[in-house]
Amino acid sequence: MSTVTNVGTDFDLIAHLLRRTGFGATRDELEEYAALGYEGALDKLFNPGDADALPVDLIRRYHADQSDLRIPPSSGSFWMYRMVTTKAPFEEKIALFWHRVFATGQTKVIQGKVMISQIEMFRKYGLGSFRELLIQLSRDPAMILWLDNQDNHKDAVNENYGREILELFAMGVGNYTEEDVKECARAFTGWTIANMPYMSTKMRNNTLRPYGYIAWQYEYDESDHDDGEKTFLGETGNFNGEDIIDIICKNPATPRFIARHLYHHFVADEFPVPQWPFEEPKDPEAIQIMVDAYFANDYSIGAMLRAMFASDIFKAESTRFARIKSPVEIVVGTLRLAGDFDWPTDDVYKATAACTYMGQQLLGPASVEGWMGGDDWISTGSMVQRINFASDTVGDPEKRGIKSIIVRIAERHEPGNVEPEALVDDCLDLVGRLQVGDDTLEGLVAFARDQGDVDASTDDGAGKITSLLQLIVSSREYQLA
Amino acid sequence: MATEAGARLGLKYLDTNGFGAAQGGRGYYLPVDIAVRSDGRIYVLSRGDAIQGGNGVKVTDIEHTWYEVFSGRGTDPGQFISATAIAFDANDRLFMADEILNRITIFDPDHNYVAQWGAEGSGPGEFDGPSGIAFDTDGNLLVVDDKNQRAQRYTPEGEYLSSFGSGGSGDGEFNYPWGITVAPDGVIYVADWRNDRIQRFTHQGEFIDSQGGSGDGEGQFNRPSNVAVDNDGNIFVADWGNQCVQAFDNDWNFQTSIRGAGELSVWAAEYIDANADEKAARASFNPYPELDVVDPHEVSSRTEPYFWDPVSVAMYDDSRLLVLETGRHRFQIYEKV
Repeated sequence: MSTVTNVGTDFDLIAHLLRRTGFGATRDELEEYAALGYEGALDKLFNPGDADALPVDLIRRYHADQSDLRIPPSSGSFWMYRMVTTKAPFEEKIALFWHRVFATGQTKVIQGKVMISQIEMFRKYGLGSFRELLIQLSRDPAMILWLDNQDNHKDAVNENYGREILELFAMGVGNYTEEDVKECARAFTGWTIANMPYMSTKMRNNTLRPYGYIAWQYEYDESDHDDGEKTFLGETGNFNGEDIIDIICKNPATPRFIARHLYHHFVADEFPVPQWPFEEPKDPEAIQIMVDAYFANDYSIGAMLRAMFASDIFKAESTRFARIKSPVEIVVGTLRLAGDFDWPTDDVYKATAACTYMGQQLLGPASVEGWMGGDDWISTGSMVQRINFASDTVGDPEKRGIKSIIVRIAERHEPGNVEPEALVDDCLDLVGRLQVGDDTLEGLVAFARDQGDVDASTDDGAGKITSLLQLIVSSREYQLA
Repeated sequence: MATEAGARLGLKYLDTNGFGAAQGGRGYYLPVDIAVRSDGRIYVLSRGDAIQGGNGVKVTDIEHTWYEVFSGRGTDPGQFISATAIAFDANDRLFMADEILNRITIFDPDHNYVAQWGAEGSGPGEFDGPSGIAFDTDGNLLVVDDKNQRAQRYTPEGEYLSSFGSGGSGDGEFNYPWGITVAPDGVIYVADWRNDRIQRFTHQGEFIDSQGGSGDGEGQFNRPSNVAVDNDGNIFVADWGNQCVQAFDNDWNFQTSIRGAGELSVWAAEYIDANADEKAARASFNPYPELDVVDPHEVSSRTEPYFWDPVSVAMYDDSRLLVLETGRHRFQIYEKV
C-alpha cells in the first residue's frame, strides 16, 4: 500500500515560496506553513518571531574564534550557523540579498566582526523603509571603510561612496550625472568612524597585533562636513547625507533598480547588472508591481516583496525551479534538510569552505557588484563540489533530518517492501516536493529497483533510502530553486 | 590581605601582559586558561582557532619575561585539538584538558610529555567535553565533565574515584558547567555556566550553596566561566557574558566589579615603537570612543582597555588577580586594595 499524503498544488506552491524565501523546507516545516494557507504563510514569513537559532553563547564558548570573528572562516561560519539553524530563514535570505547588492568584502575590510554587524543590520532593516536602510548603510563602518568614505573630507572629496550609492546601490547607471556624483560625495563628508587614523592604518596593515581588532564605531565629524550648497538631481540646498537619501528614494529610477534586483534574487534570473542600462527588464509587469508597492508604502522593501509574492507571476508554474541555487542555498538547504548543527561542531567550517569552493565565499563577494548568479554558479568544478557536498551531507541515516524522512516513509507504508516507484515519489516529496524530469525519474526508479527490496523499518531499508536520497540531491533538478 | 570590617575589597589596575600572536611565538592567541606555578611562572593556554591551529602553552612571568611555548595543535601525545584548561599538581606537573580529544595530558616541570588518559563516553571515568580542571587538597584531580553535566574526581594517574552533579537547575545540578576551582580551604567552586551561577561544594562534593542568577546587576551573572579564591576566602568570578569580573567576600557579599583597564603591555609597546605608521596613527587614539551599542560583548569589541571575553582568573602571590581575556590575547593584572 502506498499512501503519499498531502500531495497537492498548495503544497507545491508553499514549497516554492519556501525555496525562494528560505532554503527549502523539511516536511515538518512545509506542513506547518501549508496549514496556514498561502496568505497565512506570507504573514508568518514577514513576522517570524524569534529566530531561535543556535544560541550565540554556545557558539562563542566552543569556538573561541567565532567570538572575535577575526578571520573569514570564523565570520563565515558564524553566519552559517545562523542560516542553518534559524526558524526565520527569510531574514537570512534578505541579509544575503542586501549583502549581494551592497557588496562589502572581508578581503579589504579585514574585520569579520564588523561584517557580521553589517549582516545583523540587514536583518533588522532589510524589509523596512529603503530610506532608513540607506541611512544605516551610509553609517555602517564596514561600508564606510569598504568605499573609503573615511577619506572623504570637507576639503578633499573622495567620491567613491557618493558614486556607488548611485551606481550600485540605489539607482543604476544612466540616472544621474557626474556632477550629481560629486555633490553626493560632498554631502557624505564627515561620515566616518571613531579613531579613524588608527583604524584605517590597522586595516591596511592587516594584523591582529597588538590586541586583536578593535571593532569600528560610526562617528559623524561635523567639523569635517561640507555644509555648503549643493545641487543634486535637480534640487539645491545645503544637503547632508540624509537629504541626499531623501532625493534618491523619491526618484522613480530607485524602485525600478531595486525591484530588478529583487526580481533577480527572488523570482527569476535577470540580465547581469551591467546590461541593465541597455536591456529592458525580463518581466516589466513584475517590476511595476513592486514599484507601485514601494511608493504606496513609504518606500517599504517588505511591501514590494509581499506584492511580488502575492502576484500570479511569482506563483506561476513557469517560475518554479527557474533559478539556479546559489552555493549558499545548496549548502544551507542541504544541511537544514539533514538536520545538522544542533550543537557547535567543527563541521561548520567545512560547510563554509564548501560554499567558497563552489564559488561563493560568505562575506567575500567577487567584486563590488557582488556575485552575478544564474549560470555563473555552474562550472564543471563547482558541480562536482555541489554534488559531493550534498551527497555527503545526506548520507548518514542517523542524522535527525534523514531519520525523520525514513520514519515518515515507514509510516506511509504497511510493514514490508516499498515499491520502487512509490519510494522515489516519497523521497522526492520529503526533500521538499522536488519535481524532476522524466529522464531523472527513470534513473531514480531504476536505481531504487536495483537496490532490491526496501523495508523502511529496518537498518537495511534505512541505508537504501539514504542512498536514494544521495542520488536525488545529486540530480540536476536539485540544483534549482 | 584581610579587609577591615565594613571596608570593601577593591581591585586596582596594575599592568597588562600580552600580545596577539596568531602565528606563534611570544604572545597569545585566543587563550582560554591561565595558571601560576609555584615558582611564580605564569602559564597561558593559548588555544588558537580551528583553522590556523593550536597555539600552545605559553610561559611568562609577572615581569613580562618570555620563556617558551610548548604543545600545540594535533592528536599526537602532548598535543591538543581544543584545549580548555590547565592546572599544576603539587610537584609542578602541568595537567591539560582537551574537550575534543576527551583526554587529560600531563607534562613534567620541564614541559616534557609524561602521559595522557581519558576516554569518551558518559559512564564513570569517561568524558564528554572536559572543560575545567583543578586539584583537590588530597592531590586528586577534579574534572568538569561539561556535556555530562557533572564533575569527576580522579587520581593523577587517571583512576576514577567519584563524581557529583547531574543536569538541571536545582542545588548541585549543572547546566553545561565550565571552570572549577579549589579554594585554599578545600571548598570546591564550579562555574555553572548556563545556570548563571557559581556553586560551592564541600571537599567531598556535597552542595553548600550557590550565588548568582541571570542578569547584569551586582551578584548576578551572565554565563560565568571561572573563579579564583584568595587565602582570605574572597571570591573573584570571571563573568564572561557580562564582560567583567565581580568580587565577593566569602559570604557572597558583593565587593566590586571591574570592566577592564588594559594598556599597552611591554610586548605591545615594543611592537608599536617598531612600526612608525601605527605609532603615528595611535597618537590620536581615544581608547574610549562614544558608542551606539550597549551589549557588553559589542562594547568590549570596540573598547580596547575593556575585558573582551574574560574567560579565566587566577591569584598571583595572593595579592594580585590575573584576568585572562580570550578576545584580546592578554591578561590584566590587578592588585587587591
